[in-house]
Amino acid sequence: MEYHKQVAEILDNVKKVMIGKDKEATLSLVALLADGHVLLEDVPGVGKTMLVRALSQSLDCAFKRIQFTPDLLPSDVTGVSIYNPKEMFFEFRDGPIFGDVILADEINRTSPKTQSALLEAMEEMNVTVDGVTKSLKKPFFVMATQNPVEYEGTYPLPEAQLDRFLIKLSMGYPSEADELEMLNRTDRQHPIEDIKPVIQRHQLIEMQETIQQIYMDETVKRYIVQLVAATRKNDHVQLGVSPRGSIALMKAAKAYAFIQDRDYVIPDDVIFLAPYVLAHRMILKPEARYSGMNQETLLADILEQVDIPVRRELNR
Amino acid sequence: MQQKWKDTTVTSALILIAGFFLFWEWLRPLEAITDTGNVYLFVLFTALCFGLSYLVPNGWIRFLLKGTSLVIILDYLFLTSTFLSTPWMQQIYREVAFNMNTILSNEWYLMTPFFRSFLFLILLWLMSYLLHYWFVVAQKYFLFIALTVIYLAVLDTFTVYDAKTAIVRTFAIAFIALGISHFLQRTEGQMSDNDKKWENLLRWLTPVIVIVCIATIVGIYSPKLNPQWPDPVPFIQSTAGHVGFVDESQFQKKVGYGENDSRLGGSFVQDDSPVFEALANDRLYWRIESKDVYTGKGWERSAELEYEPINNHNISWRSFSDSVETTSENTFIQRSENSQLSKVAYPYGAREIRSRDGIHFFQDNQSGMMEYELSEQQQQIDGYTITYESPSYSIDNLQNISQRDPDHIQANYLQLPEDLPDRVSQLAEEITEGEETRYDQVKAVEQYFSLNGYSYQIEDVSIPDGNEDYVDQFLFETRVGYCDNFSTSMVVLLRSLDIPARWVKGFTGGDIKENQPENIPDGYFVYEITNNNAHSWVEVYFPETGWIPFEPTSGFTNQTEFYQETTSQTDSNPVEPEETEEETVENETEEIELEERDDEEAFASIDFDNEEPKYSYTFILMTIGVILLLLVLLGVIYYKRQTIKDWYLLQKWKKISQPMQFEQAYLFVLQLLDKRMIGRKKGQTLRQYAKVVDEKLANDDMIELTKLYEEYVYRKGEINKQDTELRELFEKLMKQIFA
Repeated sequence: MEYHKQVAEILDNVKKVMIGKDKEATLSLVALLADGHVLLEDVPGVGKTMLVRALSQSLDCAFKRIQFTPDLLPSDVTGVSIYNPKEMFFEFRDGPIFGDVILADEINRTSPKTQSALLEAMEEMNVTVDGVTKSLKKPFFVMATQNPVEYEGTYPLPEAQLDRFLIKLSMGYPSEADELEMLNRTDRQHPIEDIKPVIQRHQLIEMQETIQQIYMDETVKRYIVQLVAATRKNDHVQLGVSPRGSIALMKAAKAYAFIQDRDYVIPDDVIFLAPYVLAHRMILKPEARYSGMNQETLLADILEQVDIPVRRELNR
Repeated sequence: MQQKWKDTTVTSALILIAGFFLFWEWLRPLEAITDTGNVYLFVLFTALCFGLSYLVPNGWIRFLLKGTSLVIILDYLFLTSTFLSTPWMQQIYREVAFNMNTILSNEWYLMTPFFRSFLFLILLWLMSYLLHYWFVVAQKYFLFIALTVIYLAVLDTFTVYDAKTAIVRTFAIAFIALGISHFLQRTEGQMSDNDKKWENLLRWLTPVIVIVCIATIVGIYSPKLNPQWPDPVPFIQSTAGHVGFVDESQFQKKVGYGENDSRLGGSFVQDDSPVFEALANDRLYWRIESKDVYTGKGWERSAELEYEPINNHNISWRSFSDSVETTSENTFIQRSENSQLSKVAYPYGAREIRSRDGIHFFQDNQSGMMEYELSEQQQQIDGYTITYESPSYSIDNLQNISQRDPDHIQANYLQLPEDLPDRVSQLAEEITEGEETRYDQVKAVEQYFSLNGYSYQIEDVSIPDGNEDYVDQFLFETRVGYCDNFSTSMVVLLRSLDIPARWVKGFTGGDIKENQPENIPDGYFVYEITNNNAHSWVEVYFPETGWIPFEPTSGFTNQTEFYQETTSQTDSNPVEPEETEEETVENETEEIELEERDDEEAFASIDFDNEEPKYSYTFILMTIGVILLLLVLLGVIYYKRQTIKDWYLLQKWKKISQPMQFEQAYLFVLQLLDKRMIGRKKGQTLRQYAKVVDEKLANDDMIELTKLYEEYVYRKGEINKQDTELRELFEKLMKQIFA
């Protein structure tokens, strides 16, 4: 496939930096290619920022970073109109959101108002400042991070808004061997410095368009629908996955198939992605939560229960 | 196999011994349900085969040893000539040649005992091989144990064999064997330390044996439910239309004429299937034969049957002398369909016998037993006409006997077993006290039973055990029984008084048939004689007159006609004239010696008797043979089941792969993998599954196929491979699955 080389190179770049985090790198790329966004949730220091930087540095794109703090204002995100005395008019100065790849660090530490500004921009693909609506250009890729440890003074994202993110993932600690390797690599110079862009903006946009052409068979679509339906019917679930979730899963699966150099989706793609795409879109009943269940384990159960289509005709 | 041989252990010896005992249970019933003699030899041979299988690792030596012992047994049993001499060889050759002929002409029943024993020994040989394989090599026990139990249950239900103790033995052996085999499985692979092994074996076996013993004892003494369903035997037999032959004596039998009377007693069930119809002007007693040797348990012949042909329809055999007054009568006998009777039933005084199709009749002069010989075209005898002189005996003559009994009569008809209890003859003296003449004494004994509360009953009639005497048991203990009890007792009582008497079997007169044909002479009726009419009675010898029938059985009346010249009738029931026949010692013109045993067996399956007929040796052996063959077959199927399944799958595969149907082929492989290796779990994708499979097979064929299939299913793509290529791919994979 045309872009397969680039895809592989991007992943290579990321892998150079993120040792042992192939899966997370791939998932991030899935979100990027599917025109979605990623929410990274993990403790500090496991390389969330590094992942984003590695990814953005592989692209010939504008990388912006927003460090969310409690006192951050929406305009700090979207940008402000500043009076230009020379020209005698209000000049709009783009906020960091007008970048191509945006790292929204510690998103849960800022006020809901500011969060909304970001989330709205993600959803609507445009920004309204002072009554003027400005469209965001593609590509537009947000990677938000949040820290689950510090709850003091945080504003957790409302669960209903979590589904703006195509994928939610956590990094986790590297294995000992990986960590040792990491030490070796960063001994002299951080490998991030070596990363060169391998893909142009327009190429990225083309790739995103190509992905929509990936074939998803009726059988696989039906499988997605069955999965999603199963989350709604499950006894432990208070709120199942919305139809938006189905669409998200489909888009992600196509992107994943693309990354796998395939022009059609197989159930394996869906199964691989389901925990990252669906888990943050459902709310468990309190009893289930108290009994030690979480979305991931529940999804694993559901994946085991739903029959995988193995025949060509649906009705057979 | 070789490997197994190396660790021939004590444990596997124990297992083999247990297996042998189980198999012994298969042989034990032979004695009871067939007339197989020398069963111990067969058991010995089996034991030898088992032992050799275990001890002699070399197959050829084993074969030689087993073959030799087989020949020695046959020599011991049947061959009269010196071992390995020329006549000996000839004898064997003749036997084999004769039997091959009988086999080729389908006359199985003519097979000689020599050959049957030979075949049976071969069968035992094969069985020992199979069982050795089952137990020691394959270490599979359960199937055989289950089969043994089924076998015993069937025999216990349908034959005279009482499997009560057999089943207990089987239980105990089976569980001990299972215990040992479990021990073997547990210790497999850690047999290095010999001392330890002994210790472990003992440690294991002791509780096993103790537990089995306790369970057995508890089982024996705990209360048991009565049978929860009715006895299926009568129903099955009546459905099968199986008439006439039952077996000998021991337990539940069917009424009918049977030839073997060596063990009388036991209950039997009613059987109203018709044996023959007779057109007669009287309700006649139908005589078939008499027996003269009382063994204490039953009746036997003192001499083998010697059939002589009946020439010109004239029956020369007589039961009474010419001095008896007679009237001449005719009767026509028609054999019923499905009747098993191969003997000729005739009324007293029979003089001439004719059949429509010129069948030849033969008669034995001692017992009066008459048979016919069918020509090749004839399937069965149709019917025959008998002209008889219906006798009427003068009581005066009977009371005034001037002569003493001839020597040959005394020699043959006064025999009694040596261990007959004294109280029997004491009773005889008591009964006849005050009676002067032989006739009065006989009448006194005849009437003794019904006058003293002996009752007629066909159920719950006991069989004498061990040393008990059949007559003694009936006279003094049970006091219930059927015709055999009464008639035998009367004969024994008379003989103890030195009155010559013999025991006669045949049929009573039957019932007048409901639908009488038209055109039959006045006074004549068609009587239908069924197996229920099988009967036994007594003939007593009177010098000058001959043998006169008497009827001691309670509820039956003597139909012999007696008259007194003084015009007073002595007998209260002179209903029907019966003929007595006179014993005539005839010259033997032609001797037709049918091979005695074969003869008997062949007839046995067509004979009748008051008791049940006995299953013929051949029949039983063949049944057992068939069962064993089936067993072997089952065993083969069981052990070849993988091959059979493979073959079936291969056929299926051919169907699918000929016009290469990709989807079916792939699904077929999935099925195959599921059965043979590892199943696809729910929620496992094809690719994940393929990976697991390939890891097991250590290659990547399944992945390759799966990728093609994914493209086919999830992309609706065409397969861009040739059928032959695909087939190769599939077959490569399948080869590995089968391997």
